Amino acid sequence: MTKPTLWNYDLDDACYRVRLMASLAGVRLDLRSVDAFPGHEHLGDDMLALNPLGRLPVLEDGPLILRQTEAILLHLARLGPRGTAFLPSDDAGVARMQDWLFFASRDLAAPSQARAVAMLGAAGDALALKDTARHGLRLLEDHMTAQGFRGQGFVAGVHATVADIALFPAFALCRDFNLDHDAFPALRLWARRVRQLDGFITMPGIPDYH
Amino acid sequence: MPHPPTDHAKWTPLALASDIRTATSAGTVWNGAEIVIWRDSAGTAHAWEDRCPHRGMKLSFGFVRGDRIACLYHGWEYDSTAACRYIPAHPELDVPATIRVARYKAAEALGMIWVAPLDQSAPAPVDETKVSALRSLQVDAPLPVLTQLLATAGLPGAGGVRDVVVDGSVIRLTQGALRLIAGLHPVDGATSILHLGVQGTCAPDTLATLVPATAALRRLAETTAAGAAQ
Repeated sequence: MTKPTLWNYDLDDACYRVRLMASLAGVRLDLRSVDAFPGHEHLGDDMLALNPLGRLPVLEDGPLILRQTEAILLHLARLGPRGTAFLPSDDAGVARMQDWLFFASRDLAAPSQARAVAMLGAAGDALALKDTARHGLRLLEDHMTAQGFRGQGFVAGVHATVADIALFPAFALCRDFNLDHDAFPALRLWARRVRQLDGFITMPGIPDYH
Repeated sequence: MPHPPTDHAKWTPLALASDIRTATSAGTVWNGAEIVIWRDSAGTAHAWEDRCPHRGMKLSFGFVRGDRIACLYHGWEYDSTAACRYIPAHPELDVPATIRVARYKAAEALGMIWVAPLDQSAPAPVDETKVSALRSLQVDAPLPVLTQLLATAGLPGAGGVRDVVVDGSVIRLTQGALRLIAGLHPVDGATSILHLGVQGTCAPDTLATLVPATAALRRLAETTAAGAAQ
């Protein structure tokens, strides 16, 4: 089987989600570096031909070209020998996972944007994005607080799903745009559980304790 | 057995004990002072200034190994007396005793971790009753606004409030069948943190149902504070 190709920029948190999911699922990727910042290579003709949205990550797997992070994560979970553990088998579990996947892409988009403004030269209102990010993380904190009392350590249940991987960097990297972890005790405990998953990898900004 | 009066005004609760797991650390802010709260591998809680004396990095970003906390930047390790014991870049060095982190007194009672200045002589709060931890909640409201709201209305939707006792940084009140114990601490003039628990052994299902009420309290307090600021 040929390895899927990930068009990757190491400091992009969405690319990290893909590398993390691949590592957890046991999928080996062919990484192609794209100099998104400061080079803006993702906006060049070659990359726009692959992804007219002008965004990373892009995953190319044979005839498949995937451009939505959550779709890439779901694909990798089905592809890898350890990936099915991240896909619930019951209908309610699948529904919950998808609910939190859409939360990640829609309601928790601000942390990624705030970080891109703070670190990667993106345009945007840094303070307004930080406020929106904080609000979204508070909702996740509320949810994980209740999950703890239900004996469920992850967003969609007892086990980690693709949704946890989609959500993790929003919290783990929020110090990059000056939002402390102080106010999120339930998310701190959840992040510890994610870090302990077999095959977990870090990226710059997520320390590798030694 | 009677115990000496404790002073809930001289000791301040800065975290729920259950949120600081063994061998972990967390940062918080108390009246503008950045503080790391960490628990060593034997389970003892410590509260220090959240700053490595080497380059000023927050120690709460670091990690706990055994009875030491290590800074994330360069791995300097501090023992439970806050003395630096090991510098990885100079492994042979007998570290000078002058390299220390500023400490606070720390104590555990009522499901919370309490902190006082090192020269505080008032006895630490006493663990006179079991508390089931609910959650710590950061609220964008000055401490008096949050205290007043909690003491008069409790958790929104959880029933009428009675038997309110305000004792320094602790409020106790009864709502329905629940006796709530709330520790409060100011982050700064505009933000506060509430450490909320239920007296006795409370079923996890009950605690889960209270989470939306805590979010409602946060909304109410922030709306009230924003209105008062205009």
